[in-house]
Amino acid sequence: MRLVATLAVVPALLLQTAGGGGAAQDRGPHAAPYTYEGTIRTVQARPASLELITGVGMALRLVRMSVPAAAHIESGGAAIALRDLRPGDVVRAECHQTGAGLVADRIERKRAAP
Amino acid sequence: MRAALLSAAAAAVVVAACAKPVKPGDPVRGLTREQRDRFRRGGEVFDTVFTAATGLGPLFNSTSCGECHEDPVAGGFGDEVEVHAAAFHPGAPCDPLVHQGGPVIQQDATPALKTALGVEREPNPPDATALARRTAPVVFGRGLLDAVPDSALLAYADPEDRNGDGVSGRPNHFFDGRIGRFGRKALVPTLGEFNEGAFVLEQGVTTPAIPTEETFGGRPLPAGVDPAPDPEITAEIVALTDTFVRFLGAPTPLRPSAEARQGRDLFGRIGCAACHVPALRTGDSPIAALRRREVGAYSDLLLHDMGPELADICLGDATPSEFRTEPLIGLRLAARFLHDGRATTAEQAIELHGGEAGGARTRFLALTPGERAALVAFLKTL
Repeated sequence: MRLVATLAVVPALLLQTAGGGGAAQDRGPHAAPYTYEGTIRTVQARPASLELITGVGMALRLVRMSVPAAAHIESGGAAIALRDLRPGDVVRAECHQTGAGLVADRIERKRAAP
Repeated sequence: MRAALLSAAAAAVVVAACAKPVKPGDPVRGLTREQRDRFRRGGEVFDTVFTAATGLGPLFNSTSCGECHEDPVAGGFGDEVEVHAAAFHPGAPCDPLVHQGGPVIQQDATPALKTALGVEREPNPPDATALARRTAPVVFGRGLLDAVPDSALLAYADPEDRNGDGVSGRPNHFFDGRIGRFGRKALVPTLGEFNEGAFVLEQGVTTPAIPTEETFGGRPLPAGVDPAPDPEITAEIVALTDTFVRFLGAPTPLRPSAEARQGRDLFGRIGCAACHVPALRTGDSPIAALRRREVGAYSDLLLHDMGPELADICLGDATPSEFRTEPLIGLRLAARFLHDGRATTAEQAIELHGGEAGGARTRFLALTPGERAALVAFLKTL
């Protein structure tokens, strides 16, 4: 089950890293979300964005997403800000695809960086 | 507890001596006819040599699974050594350098890529703080190891060394937070993921779950160098390969001589079994042949600090000097030892153990020559 869940997100993930995300049509915020679980590699304030490390086995991939001000970010049930996230945090991010790439709708911190 | 496990492992050998032994390359006992058929067909895929036309590359380490896992049979050791890279800066999370092609740096390329880029292999990441050499281990018994529940591994974890034995194993975690156990740094949580990832990393063969190629040092591959449409193999091919690896049995240890029995006792007495836990028990697998079985793992599948001499890259939570306890399944078949193959004998490998294993090494070196020989004789039964 966990494997299925992991694999389900990977095609979208690879589309993104391969540049396919830039060619994808903007399906708007109501399109089926892309969900990623990964470790934050970088957090940027301007432009607001995240880089996640995820993958299958040792085949690791980077997922880049912008984080608009409207994105809901939480940890342990409490709302937090993008600046509260740190490299090494494990997060689950629900996104939608736009012509400019992935855009985060909701980010949940599952485990703080050790 | 570990002494009891050593006894359990010894008892398992006695029981196995009565049953038909599992030879290297044999499937686990108790498979159904259909499962044995899929094991056989999976073995054919395992040995299938890919070409550029059928999906190989453009970057790769090997042309087939069996090229690296081959000695003495499919699923065995290989003499290939691959290169991994990462960046470690104390106080910061380990960076596997995915944006620069890491952590696995492919050592070969198809003629089309060589021509297009004028290269022979993927470059080492410029930001790497270390490179690691990795030999190809046996994959025997990995389905059994996959079926051991996380709780069994966590029962051996002692990150704060509360029992004061100098050994403080801890689990690694994959990037999504799950506990890892496969790979020399115990990064990967499941065998299925490890196997599927290996198609892309080692052979450049894309799969339905990973339908795009590796990058070249983090840069996209040039157009026209990859003639096979993605994904280059079907989910059924992946599943057959996974079935073959999953069903490869752990070879039955050889019947121990009196000397080897003495060595087995010493193995427990000097502390080797603190990390090389002799027996693990599988959980409630959907596959009856893997369900609630004792596996002579000789590993706790946890990370242990092995000291600065063996240190190379970080990966996940693992620091450069932390490695997963290597399972000793099929050790008698090994020609080289340790994660990078630097040791040519088991005795040399023990002498190179440091960090948490330093105490066991010291006690090994304090043994008489005859006792050391007995311990090595025991290892040669595994």
